[in-house]
This record gives sequence, C-alpha cells and structure tokens, in this order.
Amino acid sequence: MLLVPTPFGPRNASDLRYVGEATSRPDPSTTSPEAWRDYLYLEHNPAGWLRETWYDRVNRVYFQVERNTATNEFRNPTMPVAKHGKKA
Amino acid sequence: MATPSSIVAGARRKLGAGPPRYSAAGLVRKGLSGDSWPRVWRDVELKSSYDVVIIGGGVHGLATAYYLATNHGITDVAVLDKAYLGSGGSGRNTAIVRSNYLTPEGVAFYDRSLTLYNTMATDLNLNVMFSERGHMTLAHTDGALRTMNWRAEVNKLQGIDSSVIDPTEVGKLAPSLDVSGDSRYPILGALYHPPGGTIRHDAVVWGYARGADHRGVEMHQKTEVLDILCEGGSGPDGKGPGGRVTGVRTSRGDISAPIVVNCTAGWASLISDMAGVKLPIHTRPLQAAVTEPVKVFLPTVVVSGSLHVYVSQTDRGELVFGASVDPFNNYNVGGSLEFTEELAGHVLELMPGISKMRLLRQWAGLCDMTPDYSPVMGDTDVDGFYVDVGWGTYGFKAGPVSGEAMAEAIATRAMPKIIAPFHISRFATGELVGEKGAAAVGH
Amino acid sequence: MLNPLGLLRTATTAPGVRRLDTPQPGEVIDRDTSVRFTFNGARLTGHEGDTIASALMGNGIRVVSRSMKYHRPRGYLTADIWDPNGALQVGDEPNVRSAHRLLTDGMAISTQNVWPSLDLDVKAANGLVSRFLTAGFYYKTFMKPAALWPYYEKVLATFAPGGTVDLDTPHGEFDKRYAHPDVLIAGAGPAGMAAAVAAADEGASVMLVETEHELGGHLRWGDEAELAAAAELIHAVRSRPEIEVLTDATVTGRYEDNWCAISQRTHTHVAERLIKARAKVLVVAPGLIERPYVFAGNDKPGVMTAGAVRRLVNMYGVQPGDRAVVFTANTHGDAAADDLERIGVPVQRVDARAGERIAEATGPDAGVAGVTLVDGRTIEADLLVTAVGWTAPTSLLNMAGDRPVYDRATARFFGSAEIDNVLTTGGIAGDGTVTELVGHGSATGRLAARRAAVIGAHLRAATVWAAPVDTTPPATLPADDRSPLGRDAHPELFRSTTHGIVDYSEDVGSKDLVAAATEGYDSIELLKRYTTATMGPAQGKLETVNTAAVLAEARGERIEDVGTTVWRPPFVPVSLGALAGRVFEPTRVSSIQPWHEANGATPILAGQWIRPEHYGDPAAEVLATRAGVGIIDVTPLGKLDLRGPDVPKLLEQLYTNKWQKLPVGGVRYGLMCAEDGVVMDDGVTARLGDEHYLMTTTSSGAASVWEWAEMWLQTEHPDWQVHVTPVTTAYTSINVAGPKSRELVGRLCDDVDLSPEAFAYMQVRTGTVAGVADCVMWRIGFTGELSYELHVPAGHGLHVWERLLAEGADLGVRPFGLEAQRIMRLEKGHFIVGQDTDGLTKAPSTGLESLIKLDKDDFAGKPELAWALSPEALASAPRVVAIQPDDPTIVPDEACQIVGGETTEILGRITSSRMSPTLGRSICLGQVVPTLAAPGTKLTVLLVDGRRVPATVMEHHAHYDPEGARLRV
Repeated sequence: MLLVPTPFGPRNASDLRYVGEATSRPDPSTTSPEAWRDYLYLEHNPAGWLRETWYDRVNRVYFQVERNTATNEFRNPTMPVAKHGKKA
Repeated sequence: MATPSSIVAGARRKLGAGPPRYSAAGLVRKGLSGDSWPRVWRDVELKSSYDVVIIGGGVHGLATAYYLATNHGITDVAVLDKAYLGSGGSGRNTAIVRSNYLTPEGVAFYDRSLTLYNTMATDLNLNVMFSERGHMTLAHTDGALRTMNWRAEVNKLQGIDSSVIDPTEVGKLAPSLDVSGDSRYPILGALYHPPGGTIRHDAVVWGYARGADHRGVEMHQKTEVLDILCEGGSGPDGKGPGGRVTGVRTSRGDISAPIVVNCTAGWASLISDMAGVKLPIHTRPLQAAVTEPVKVFLPTVVVSGSLHVYVSQTDRGELVFGASVDPFNNYNVGGSLEFTEELAGHVLELMPGISKMRLLRQWAGLCDMTPDYSPVMGDTDVDGFYVDVGWGTYGFKAGPVSGEAMAEAIATRAMPKIIAPFHISRFATGELVGEKGAAAVGH
Repeated sequence: MLNPLGLLRTATTAPGVRRLDTPQPGEVIDRDTSVRFTFNGARLTGHEGDTIASALMGNGIRVVSRSMKYHRPRGYLTADIWDPNGALQVGDEPNVRSAHRLLTDGMAISTQNVWPSLDLDVKAANGLVSRFLTAGFYYKTFMKPAALWPYYEKVLATFAPGGTVDLDTPHGEFDKRYAHPDVLIAGAGPAGMAAAVAAADEGASVMLVETEHELGGHLRWGDEAELAAAAELIHAVRSRPEIEVLTDATVTGRYEDNWCAISQRTHTHVAERLIKARAKVLVVAPGLIERPYVFAGNDKPGVMTAGAVRRLVNMYGVQPGDRAVVFTANTHGDAAADDLERIGVPVQRVDARAGERIAEATGPDAGVAGVTLVDGRTIEADLLVTAVGWTAPTSLLNMAGDRPVYDRATARFFGSAEIDNVLTTGGIAGDGTVTELVGHGSATGRLAARRAAVIGAHLRAATVWAAPVDTTPPATLPADDRSPLGRDAHPELFRSTTHGIVDYSEDVGSKDLVAAATEGYDSIELLKRYTTATMGPAQGKLETVNTAAVLAEARGERIEDVGTTVWRPPFVPVSLGALAGRVFEPTRVSSIQPWHEANGATPILAGQWIRPEHYGDPAAEVLATRAGVGIIDVTPLGKLDLRGPDVPKLLEQLYTNKWQKLPVGGVRYGLMCAEDGVVMDDGVTARLGDEHYLMTTTSSGAASVWEWAEMWLQTEHPDWQVHVTPVTTAYTSINVAGPKSRELVGRLCDDVDLSPEAFAYMQVRTGTVAGVADCVMWRIGFTGELSYELHVPAGHGLHVWERLLAEGADLGVRPFGLEAQRIMRLEKGHFIVGQDTDGLTKAPSTGLESLIKLDKDDFAGKPELAWALSPEALASAPRVVAIQPDDPTIVPDEACQIVGGETTEILGRITSSRMSPTLGRSICLGQVVPTLAAPGTKLTVLLVDGRRVPATVMEHHAHYDPEGARLRV
C-alpha cells in the first residue's frame, strides 16, 4: 500500500483514485482532430518521473504529484491549476 | 563437484543436423542410453545485421519469428530479449485461452488463435498441455447477463461454441461454486464456452523458440535494446514520422536491420519512443497468485467480471488466480497486499468452502493497456518499424495468430484483413474497437 | 509366493525412533498431560506442547508422507515449518505443516499423497521408471495421438500433491487489524529480542513477531548457557509494555512504504488474523535456514538436518535414531552430534572441514541403513545428520527491492542494498557469539528507534492539520553507526559426487537440473520453470541455493554469476480466509425497504442497491398505473445539490445542451458525454432557487458524475463558485405516476398549487407532503404518465409512502417495482445509458441531436460531437431505434442480433425488449446500422432459438403516446 504525499499530508493509496497523466486540454473551439485525439488517447507512459493527477476521495480534492513509475517514489504534491487552452 | 564444465557447451547442436524429434520412444532411448537431449535452441554469436530484428522474446515475438521462417521463408531473423525467453507476460499470465469475444473482429481473431493452439503440440512437436476444460464467465447482475447473451449471440453467428447457462448447470460444472443465490453477488448464470481452457504458457514459448531455431532464427537472451536507429524522420536523430528504421543499438552492440518489430508488451511505449512513435498505451501491472496444491476439484476455468477474479486449477492441484489490472500506471512488479486481500475475498464469495487453502505465491506482469481494450498491430509512420503491442491482459491468448498475422504483414508489406481493425490509425480517426465490454476482466 | 505389490510396501515405523524416557533440558512438552489423536485412523497419544511431528516420532513413526512424483517414502528432514515432507491433512484442513502445528486433542491426521495408503503406495512404481521420467518429460510426449491427450491429462492430474479440500467447509470467521508500530521486528531470536528491548528503551513502540510458538530462536534448542541467555532476553522483552509480542505469527510480506503483512495464527476465536502494519522501520531478523545436502539417497527417511535433530532431541525429547552419522561442516553440526551422544546414541562424525565427504545413504526406501563416504568407507547407521551450511531467508529484503549477493567465503547470500527503513540483524546479517548477536541486535534496535522517530516527525510535519511540530525534523536519518557482525568462513557444500534430490517437494533431482541445463534451460529462471525446482510449498527456502549451485556447476560458472530467483510474497503461505477477512461488501436500501419486504416485493440487486423488482405482477402494476395511479420507490436515483452563482456554467460544461436560461421552478433534461463524445449519463436538473439546483443522475452514475463535476470545477475552472453536495440518500424519492396522481398528491399537499396552469410539466416546486416540509416535487415522467416525483427528507420517507397508499386506496393506488418502470419507460422509448447505449455510443446515435448545442463555447466532448455530427460520421454511426417484431407475440431476447437476411452479417442488435401490457404486443429498442434506421425499414431478427423473424423500425422511439399528451395534462 503506497503512502502518497498529498497536499494535506500522507495518505494510503486506497483513499485515493488515480486519474492519470496530467494532461492539457486543447481549446475545444480551435482544436484539430489530431490534437484532440492526442489528448484523448496518446500517453507518455515513461518508466520514470511523471506528473500525474490523483483524486483524494476523503477530502474530495484533485491534486497533482510527481511519481516515478518505476520505483513509486513521489515528490512535489500540488493543487491543480487551470490550464484551459494552454499547452504544458 | 566433478561435473565437467564443458557439459553445456559440448551439447551444442549444429544447424542443419535436423530437428531431434520428441517422442515417448525417444524418452525411452535416452533413458536407457543416458544420453542427453540436444539444446532446445542454439547458442550462437550475435551478428551485425539481420533482415528482421524482433524485440521481445515472448510468445508474440517468437511466434512472429516462427511464422516468418515457416510460412514465408524469412529466416535471417534475430529475436532479442533483455532477460530470458518468456520472462515477461508470457511467463506471468494465467494461461487461459478462449475465443468467445464480443465483437466479430475479436471473435474471428481469437478463434484463429485457438485453432493454432489446438494443433500446436503436433505442429511444434512439443506438448504444450492444452487442456480444453471449458470456460465459464459468471454473471451476477442482469446487466452482466445481458452482456453474456450478447456475446453468446455474436459467438454463435461466428460458429463459436458459446451459450448462456443457468445457475443449476453452473453448479453441475463446478460444484465448488455457491449457486444458492444467497450470496452478496449471486450467480445468475454464466457464459459457457466449452472450447476454452488452459495451456502451459512456458511450453508455448519454448515450442516456438525451438521451432524457429530449427528453421534458422536466432534467439539472443540478455540482449537489451537501448535505442532504435532511424533516418529521415521529422524528429531528432532521424526518428519519428516519415523516417525509416536502419537498426537497433543493443547492450551487445549495434545491429543493422531494415525491419524492427516491437513485441514488448508492458515496455511497448519505451521501445516505440526509441523510434519516435507515440502510442495510446499505459502500462499497468496485472497481478496473479497461486495456492498450495490440493487434490483436483475445479474442472473448468471460472471467471467473474463483477468480482474481478478468474480462477483455474492446474494439473498439479494449485489454484491459479488473476484479477483486474492495478488501479494506477506502474512499471513495478512488486505486487501488493491489497490485491491478495481483495482476491481472497472475492474467491471466497464464489467458493466459500476453500477458506483454509493457503496462498503460496503472488506475482505480477506488465500489461500494455489501450483505451479500447484492443491491440495495436501492424506498420507505423516510421517505415520498417512494426508494432504488435497494446495487448493488455489478453496477449497470451492471441500469441499464435498475432505471430502469424505479423509475419504476413512483414513479409507481404500489407496488412492482413484479420488485423486491419487493430491498426494504430484508428486512434487518429476515433474508430475504436468495441471490445471494452467483454475484455475489461475478460480472462 | 512373491506379491508384486510387496516391492512397493514400506514400513512406516522404525525401532530407533522413540520418545526418550528422561526429560531434556530445553524440553517444551508437558509429559504429565496426554493429548489423543489419530494418524491414518490409528489412535495415538502425544503430549501438551508437542508438534504433530514430534508426537508422531514419539510414537515411533518415521515415514509420514510420499513424494510427489515417485511416491517415495519420506520422513521429517528439517522438523520445522519448512519441512518439505511434513504436509499432512488435519480434519478438513489440507497441507498442515506438521512439524510446526501444535498437537491438540482429538486431531484426525492423515497422509495426503498416497494411493492407496502410506505403507502401500502403488504409484511408487513410478520410481522404477524414473530414468524415463526426467524433468519436463511430459513436454516431450503425449503429443500423438492428440485425441488421447485429455485422457493422459486426467491421469497426470491424479498425481497432484497436497491434501483435500472439503467443499462444505464453513466460510469461517476471520479478522483483520491495522497497526502502526515505530519498529516492527521479524524474528525473535537473540538479535531480534535484543533489538526489541533496545528500541523500546529508546522510546519506540515495538511489535516483535516470531514464527515459532515461543521467543528464543535457535537458543531454544541450544545448550544450557544458550537456554539461560534466552530466558534472560525473554524476561527483558516480556517486562517491557512498549513491546507487543506476537508468537506463532510471521511477517509474510513487506510492501511499498513499509506496509507489512503479518499472519497471526494465535488470535483468539479466529483461525488466522491478518495484521497490516505501517512500520516506520522494519528490522529483519529471521535467522538462517539450514540447507540440505545433495547426495544419493538424501531423501530417505532418517536423513535429517542438524537443526532437525537438535529440535527433536532437546525440545521434544524425541530420539530420531539408534546409530548416527553426523556429516558436519560447522559447530551446529558438532552440537547435534553432542546432543545425540548425550542421549546415548552412538555417533560417527564425518568432518567436512577435514575434507571428508558423504556420498550416499544406503538402505531400503523405508529408511537409511548405512552411509557410504566418498573415500569408499561404509558406516552402518539409521540416522544421517547433515550440517552443511545456511540459506539466508532474504525474502523480506527482496520485497524491499534488495538483490542479495553471494559471499563465497561464508557460502551464503547477504543483503546488498542500504534501505533506510529496513535494517537487518542476526544470522541474516552475519555470525557471532550470543553476546555478539545481542550486541548487534541492540545497536540495530537503537538505530531503528532513532530512525523511526525522524520518519515519524516527517510524517507529522507533512500533515497540515496535525499539531504544530516544534522543530523542523532533521533532513537526514541517523547514520548507521553499528559495528557489523563478523562472517564465519564456511566451506561451500552443495552437492556431493553423487546425484540426489534438490527439491524435495517437487521430487526434482540434481540430475534433472543438469539435464535441463544441458538442453538449454540454462538460466536460473528457465531452469526453475522447466524443472519446477523451487516452485513447491517451501518456495525455495531449502532448495534455491542448491539449485543455483548445481546450475553453476553444470555451466562451469560461479554461483554469483548464476544468481538466484526472486523470492516473492508471502514468506509463509497465508490462508485465503485470513486474507479475505470479514465480508465487507455493503448493500444499500431506501428507508422504505422494510415496507417492501413486508409486502411481498421480489428483491433485485441493482448496483449497490437492493430494490423491489415487482410485487407479484409487473404487468398488472403497469396497467394500474396507466389507468389510475401507482407509486414507486426511486431512492437510488443519483442526486446532487448544486449551489452558487456559477451553477449554470457548470451545467453547460457537463451537459450537451443549454442551461443559462432555466428559470427558477424549471426542470430540464440533459445528456452527459465524456470527452470522446460517448454517452456517459443522463438525467434531469431542476432550478430550486436563484443559486440553488438539484441534479439527478442515473443510479449507477451517482458517484462518478459527482467526481466528474468536481474535476471540472477543480482542475479546469477553479474560479467558478459552485458547491456540489451528494444528497442521494438525504432524500427518499417516490414517483407518483398515473392520471390520478394529481388527485392523490393533492390530498396530501396543501401548500403547492398543483393545477396544470400553476405547476406544469417540467417544473419543480418545494412544499409540504403528508406534513413533511421541504419536499422537492418535480413534474416529470419517465413512465409517460402525469407524474410527480417527490424527494422527501429521508427520515420521513416511509411515512409519506404509507400515507400515499392510505390516501389513495379509493383511487386504486398500487406500488410498482423496477420491472414495471422498465416496461413503461420502454413503451415510451426512453433509452437507458449502458443498456441501449454502449461504450462506443456517441450522442448523435441516440437520436437526441437537437440536444447537442455546438454554438456553446465549450462542453465535455464538444469537438468529438461536432465531428460526429458531420454527414460522413452520421453515415457510419449506428442508431438507436424503436423496433416492433411483425409478429406481436414474439419478444426477442435482449442481445438478439439483427442480421442481413439469411446471412451471418451483423447489422445491429436488440438492446431492450418487453411484452407491452398497454399495447398488447412486443416492443423493442435496438441499435442498427444507419442504412437500416429509417422508419418502416424491415429488419431480420435472429432469435436465440435460431429462428429469423421480421421486424420493423418505428417512426418514434415511443411506442405509446409519442406526442406525450398524457404527460402534459
């Protein structure tokens, strides 16, 4: 059971739901099919550090945190920021 | 400690000496003479170029090599594996085979695979111990029962032996199941698929490796691919769309090759990145576990999608369990305690009488999950770079037909019809394959 | 006359095996208390404190099992939990470790892998042909004829080892516990106990876990000085309340962030308890496992490790033989020889350190009769004791990411990685006198406690609502200042000049391993998979290193080049019952459920909810509702309370249609899509006040829609002011439907004007119903009738339900269940998300294109829906249509396929179907390819029984009242 550092403190992973790679949503009014489906389907999926979104089911909060997908180390938990229309 | 160290090297077999046939008579002869069997595959030097390099020495990579050599006469092929043959998903899966998928595309594909599995022991002259013991997918809700009916109807149209049975019949096929209807997840019926069953997964790996070796294919273990060499592409180092493959860089040196095939399952994204090809794949561990052996009591494969569990009993008497993939992306196969807790809870929900059996070992393999629970197969935007990935939790079942189709795709430079629906381009057009309903926990 | 079966018959008792008359110094049995038990039906007696093994040997029994493949007679080899030959059936429990399990009164014990009996096992005939049954032989035969393989397979399956499961075994009661020790110590030998004492004295909370039944480790079977040292340490441990001691318990796994699993087999009232401990520091101190030696005849009863002999003699007062050869390479072996001599057993010592080697144990299968040395000497003996070295059980270190490395000088593996929160002490870390082990254990305990304090401070500092932390915890953990234990040189002894068994549980010999390596299965993992060595119940605890050694020898390499297999959890097997614990799978019911149960409702499980499917006659329930009035409990409907000035923005983001102009008192239907345009949920939302809305979702979507809304609010639009509160169970929801529903509701509500002019279709009001204030009343109609959906504060739900029935008696009010509702919704052609749509159904396929407002700036899935509405996309997307079989009496099963005439081409499927009591004919919804979607199109439906029947696509989704006149009265 991972002990995940959330912005509120360490929590068991069973209190959390994994959302996925932190993505940037393209502007829906200007996006192309390629860019939108890249957002929908393609993943970086590295074996290493990755910025991810998790949902804290107890505090009802979405947050982001960096995780090494090969070792399950975590670092830098933060609250999410709006990124509408901006590329990471 | 007197055994000569040359015992292994001395048994090296020269290519062309003819495949030593396995048979009962051969066992007797060897038993009487005390002679050893020759190497199952040769131990040869790595060359600096091949017509085809296949990355990943699992069922998919080895089957591709075998059918390239057998069906198309392409034998200048190297299969590279960073560890040992079958070290990935091929040796970690729960060895269940079936063809009762939801979509006509899926059914046709897996039915061909099952056909190849059926004749594999004689085709490869190695007993893969295919146990056609029947496969039951339990329904605990009326919604699940509706999906079972859907599958059964599609299956019947394709000539697949598949039907929905009621709880009484379920109880007759597997008396250990609680079909009283009183449990938290009552068994309302099941999709029963008599041709499904289990197989000895390692034997499939060895059989393909041995068969490919006899035809001249080389297997190189402990040979890790560090980079894929490209030219002409739009990305850095000539990688990416528009480019073409020229070879691979390995832990044992560079190899030139016009065709490179990615058959690396959980590591598919990392290998494809080396060619500048982005995939719709995330990597998740799939955990499994086995109990101590007990006398055989479970004659069929039992799957429960709602309870995320599948179970079969080996001829050795162990119960083999699997579940759904882990809840987050991961390249770590350490396994979790939660998995065993949930698994045990759900298994006892189905079979309350086995609470005193003990869990002996747990393990995990890496699965390459796609958004539509269907694979990504065929060529890519990088000329000469082929993928046979995205197999998620069901790659083992598809090994033979994938190898056959990939070999054809490589040899003819055209996508065979049977794998056309699985081309990577579907993620650009949004035309996904509808297997999600059946394959989510579809063992 | 020679009985051919006589060759296979074996004596199970041996004259040299018996209980000693005089108590031994370290004895743990109570000779004054007898315990009765049966073994294969024979009535026997043991003592309180006996293990099953010591009781059996105390009764002179030497053969207790048969081997897996060759069914060779087997006796105890290690006489501890790892003994590969000691798995027995005890009552309905298979595979009991008989050298560990304590004897209790009335135990019915039997052997497992015998046919027909322990002394006469016909399958031992396999041994006669063993030269043909080399490892992996089955891969090389039974290929032809293929038709016979199923029969071969059935025969092979009868060789499955192990005990028997009684399928009527009750589920049993199991418990779980969470623990948060500062320091968790796996193993309570001298080092583990010293670590516990030191950590406790340093202020740490300590959990000390010992697999055996008492603390002490190897001191328990030691000499008087060792027993005295053990007693002193045990006293120190037991007198410290900060140390929680668990005996007959094992740390079975170490997972990420020191999440540790402990199997406790001694908890009151449960057979086994799983403890999940988040240890700040784990101390691994399991000692060492004595390794068997590979030589010809090494699996004959009477061959034992030195540890086995010392345990049997010193702890249980059991004499294991009359004449002994002790093959020793260390002081442990010497001590075993001393112990034997002390009880009067003549001992011939064969000293490995002097270059002497044993080559073979000779004698019948039933047991050792003599020993042959490599130099040719033979010695008469019925007991052959080996002391050839140790295997470090690095399992927990493996799980922590360590890859142990081989040390040739000591002939064993050691951990290699520095892991901050996992420390080792005792035999796994090195060698030493008891004093040295205690010294290292104490230093380890102190270090563990200090590190735990820093780790704990960091955890508290990271927790925002914890009490403020006075000082910033140090950035680094206390350094490892321990003086390492020494390492005693030990000869490398794995295999003699002869071949013998390597894996006892799997019946795999060194000859098999060499043959497999020669064939190319020459890496440790391939060898393991091909021969099954290390895959049996001991999981390599005894055989891993010997397997690696034999492979290294065959390859002409060193053990360190060959490596070992990875040891996977659990360290000892754990029962499924303990892992499962209690069944915690809650179901949900509405406040009206007691009434449903008392009034003949047939329950149905819908997601987490138990609800009434019907009250006996769903068709009658439909007709009663359409003719008069019916009421249904719809509490599982998902409900979200939305408040704030920006709710309309949120609704516009979630739904495909527009929400800015919904007036207070208005209700609107909305369709929700995921970002790929696939239909995700639907429902109606009402505006209750200026900044107050109530959203409903599907029952199964309640939780996911809530998280979906929060996702948009938190990650994309944190500037929007909206509070979302799930209120599904805060309300009991009752739908009152039918032409007389206004009359009925009017009788119970006098503060809302129910007239059609004042409270029209698709409007909402808040009022008092049956005296219950703050009820939310909607005029909506899933059933297609005039209807009022009442959301009643949950505590009053049953009251309102009963008042509705009482007040409506003269109107013919009747409760209806889920099935009647499903029929009525199908009569009205309302699709159900997830039934009539699937994981690929995009919104345009539902026929609700008019609800997709592409002129909005944004909504979930907008780009995909824009593309899905293009003529090309529409020309290929399936459509949801209403279908009626031409024969009105035929109801195609849901999931029946729509096919092209007599072909097998699939053109669609029936997604919902019922016999309509209202229309007196069968009605369906289905999905078809777009070319078949036009009204009037003739379809062919393939029924489950194989018949193909004609059907027609209808003009409207609604089979009944397509204009909706009945709703709007």
